[in-house]
Amino acid sequence: MIITEISKGDVAIIAFNGTLDASSAPELRKNRALNDPLQTVVVDLQKLDFIDSSGLGAIVGVARLKDDRRFGILLSCMNDRVRKVFEITNAQKLFHIFDDTKAAVEYGATRQSTCK
Amino acid sequence: MKRTMILTLPGEIIFTRVVSQTTCSVAALLTGKSLSASDGNEFTNAFELAISEAFTNSVLHSACQCEPQTITITFTIEPRQLTVSIHDLNPPFSIDTPDPDIENYPENGYGLLIIRKVMDKVTYNRENGSNIITMSKQL
Repeated sequence: MIITEISKGDVAIIAFNGTLDASSAPELRKNRALNDPLQTVVVDLQKLDFIDSSGLGAIVGVARLKDDRRFGILLSCMNDRVRKVFEITNAQKLFHIFDDTKAAVEYGATRQSTCK
Repeated sequence: MKRTMILTLPGEIIFTRVVSQTTCSVAALLTGKSLSASDGNEFTNAFELAISEAFTNSVLHSACQCEPQTITITFTIEPRQLTVSIHDLNPPFSIDTPDPDIENYPENGYGLLIIRKVMDKVTYNRENGSNIITMSKQL
């Protein structure tokens, strides 16, 4: 899987591309924005083709370490296959999920300014 | 007609995609549909996910992490049903685990839940020192 940091700032945008499973999940630990408890991150999942429970657990782990769990990581552009994994595990309850990245960034920016 | 295919491979995590994509190809034999990532075929997607989970579990719960074991996967292909069994030599386990408590942001424990949700039938047997988890789904 490829992790691309599209923008930095109050709300960082990270894109996942490929497959997020047990072999690629450890890569999330290496990304600074994902692992900064105070950094709000929008993760664009448009090009994420596949996720399994290891990948899901890694994303939940990112949310877990964010100080403001549910707002520290916002997810956007899930395809139906990825969305299904979040739904059947009930993990969608832990996240704000947006249909497009722009809306997620705007929401994240609002949250950031409220918290300052 | 019932056909059987057996795949034997090292129990290493790097082989997970090999197993799941092979399973997709086998499932596509039943659906008769192509295998593009955006295909959205529920039957194929379900097997890709379930086998990824089961194979990962077999690798991660290996009794000996120093040397990869051999994992055997048996595909039983019927006109309207696919059954996949994964055999490993790990310690015995139960598939009747409780669902993870999502409110506590658990990072583990979703695998068997996903398998149960996407397959029609999941069984576990212990035979001659082997675990055999069998997953089946009708077209």
